[in-house]
Amino acid sequence: MASEIELVDIQAGYGRAAPVLRGLSVSVPAGSVVCLVGPNGAGKSTVLKVASGLLKPRSGRILVGGREVTGQGPQAMLTAGVAHVLQGHSVFREMTVAENVLLGGYTLRDKAFAARRVEFVKELFPVVAQRWGSLAGLLSGGQQKQVEFARSLMVDPKVVLLDEPSMGLDPKATAIVFEQVVRMRDAGTAVLLVEQNARRALETADLGCVLDLGRVHISGPASELLADPQLGELYLGGRPAEPPVVPKR
Amino acid sequence: MPSASDPATTSAARRPAVTPARAARGVLLLLVVVAALSFPSLAPNPYVLSAGILVLNYALLSTSWNFVGGFTGYISLGHGALAGLGAYGTGLLVTKAGLPSFLALLVAALVVAALAVPIGYAALRVRGASFVIVSIALVLVLLLVFQSWASFTGGSRGLTVPRPFPDLLRPEHHRVFWFLFAGLLALALLVWWLIDRSRFGLGLKAIREDEDKAESLGIPTFAYKLVVFVVSAGFTAAAGGLYALWFGDLDPVFQFSILTGSYLVLMALLGGVRSLFGPLLGALVVGTALEYFKVEYGSTPLHLVATGLLLAVVVLFMPDGVLPAVAAGIDRFRPAQQSIREVTAAELREQRAGGAAAETELAGARPGGAPATKEGA
Repeated sequence: MASEIELVDIQAGYGRAAPVLRGLSVSVPAGSVVCLVGPNGAGKSTVLKVASGLLKPRSGRILVGGREVTGQGPQAMLTAGVAHVLQGHSVFREMTVAENVLLGGYTLRDKAFAARRVEFVKELFPVVAQRWGSLAGLLSGGQQKQVEFARSLMVDPKVVLLDEPSMGLDPKATAIVFEQVVRMRDAGTAVLLVEQNARRALETADLGCVLDLGRVHISGPASELLADPQLGELYLGGRPAEPPVVPKR
Repeated sequence: MPSASDPATTSAARRPAVTPARAARGVLLLLVVVAALSFPSLAPNPYVLSAGILVLNYALLSTSWNFVGGFTGYISLGHGALAGLGAYGTGLLVTKAGLPSFLALLVAALVVAALAVPIGYAALRVRGASFVIVSIALVLVLLLVFQSWASFTGGSRGLTVPRPFPDLLRPEHHRVFWFLFAGLLALALLVWWLIDRSRFGLGLKAIREDEDKAESLGIPTFAYKLVVFVVSAGFTAAAGGLYALWFGDLDPVFQFSILTGSYLVLMALLGGVRSLFGPLLGALVVGTALEYFKVEYGSTPLHLVATGLLLAVVVLFMPDGVLPAVAAGIDRFRPAQQSIREVTAAELREQRAGGAAAETELAGARPGGAPATKEGA
C-alpha cells in the first residue's frame, strides 16, 4: 500500500545536543493508523515535530505522497497535506468553535471547498456542530480535542499527526477521542499517533512501531505487538518484573 | 457574531436578525452619534468644548492603539511617540515646507506609516515584556532627538503651528475641530470594525491567542503584525497631526511622553481591548477624569495617583474591561443551556430538520446558550 508520509533514516535533535532520532525510518500507509509507542525520551514527539516541519532533520528524507519535502517549514508541510495536532489542549480558548475550525482552513483559497470541509467535519464530529458558537475554552477536554481534530481536517490532509490525544482526559473522554481517531481513519485520513496510553493506542491502530533510543526497535501489525508478552513487559506497562528471589536462611 | 470570513455561513444566516440585543446596540449607537453631533451646541462654554476635544483625541489615539493591542495582544507603550511624530511632522511640513495644513497632516500620517515599517520590523520580532521595553525605548529616543535638534524642531522652546482657519474665533475653531476629530474617530472605528469581521482579522485574533499555533496553521504572523502596526501608526500619527493643528503649540516633553502611551493602554484596558467601542468608553472615563483632576488639583500628581488606582481596579476586577464585563452580566439573565451532552450525527440531523431556529443557532458564532464573554462589535 502506498505511503502517505515516509520518514527515511532521520537524524534529528535540538540545538547542539546529541541527536534524539538516530536513523529512524517509519512510514504511514494510506487509510491506516500507525502508533508510535516507547518509553519517555525515546523520541516519539520529536518524530511528529520532524514530520510536521517544526523541527528540521539533520539528515534523512521526508516524503509526502511520494514527493520529497525534506526541510520544509510547518506552513509548507500543511500545504503538502500534513496536519499536526499538538500535545495538550491547543484550541484557541477565547475564540469560538467556529473560528477555531475556520482557522484550520486558513490556507484554503477555494471558499466552496472550505464550506464543504466545514460540513464534513461537522458531520464527523457532531460536538463541533452542536457547540459551533460556543467559546472553545468553555468545552470539556474531550470536546476541545475533537475541535482540534476537526481543525486539523479542514485542509483535507493526507495524514494527521496526533501527539498524546488522550493526555489529561478521563477514561470516558479518552474512549471518545480514540473513537474519533478511528472515524478519521475510516474517512480516509492516515493517522500517525503518539500516545503514552500504549495499550489503548495499539488497540486502535493498524500498525505499531516501538521506539527506543531514537530508532524503531520493532514494528508490525498492532495486534501482534499487543500479543507479544515480552513487548508487553518492556514497553506496554505489563506486569512488573518478578522480585529477586532471596535465599532463605 | 458570525465572522464575514465564515464560508459555511449561508447568506441568509449572515443577514443579521433583529434581536432585542442587536436593536438595543443600534439604539445605543444612534444615541452616541446624536450626542457627538450635538455636543458642540450643548457645551456651555469654549473650555468644556476644548476639554471634550481632548477626550475625543484620547478616544482616537486609544482606538488607533487598539489596532495593535486589541487584535494582536502586543502592548505598546510607544504610541505616544507615533502621535508625537505625526504632530511634529504636520507642524514642520506647515512651517518649514509651507504645505497647506491638511495636506501636511495627510503627508505626515503617510510618512509615519512608512516609518512604522522599519520600526515594526525591528520591534515586532520580540514579544511580551521585551516588546513593551522596545516601545518605551522608541519614546525616549525620539524625546532626546526632538529636544536636542533645536535648530529644526524648536527643541525645548517648542514649535508653534499656524492655525488652519486663522479667521475663525476660538469657539468656532473648537467647534470645527470637534467635528474633524469625530470624523477621524468614526473612520478609525469603521476600519477596526471591518478588520474585525475579515479573514485578516481572524488571523490577527489567532495571533493574539497563540502566535506559534497561528503560524502552524499557515497564518503569516509577522506580515500580519507588521501590516496592522502600520495601520495603527497611520491613524495615531493622523490623530497627533490633527492635535497639532488644533492646539497650535508643540513641546517635545508632552509629545514624546511615556505617560501618553500608558494612558492609551489604560483606556483600552478599561473599556475592553477586544471591543470596538472599548477604547472609546475608556477614553470617556479616563480622559474626563484626567481633565477633572488637572483642573481641580492643579499641578499636584493626584491625577497620576487616580490613574494608577484605576488601573489596579481594572486589572483586579475587570481584566477584560467594562464592556465584556457588562456583556457577561447580561448573559447571566439569558436562559442557561439545558445540557452539554454530546449529540450523535443522526440526532443533530434530526434537530436541524426540526426547525430553522436550531440552524440559526448553529450558524451563528455566539448562541445565547453559551455564556460567551467576547464582545462583538
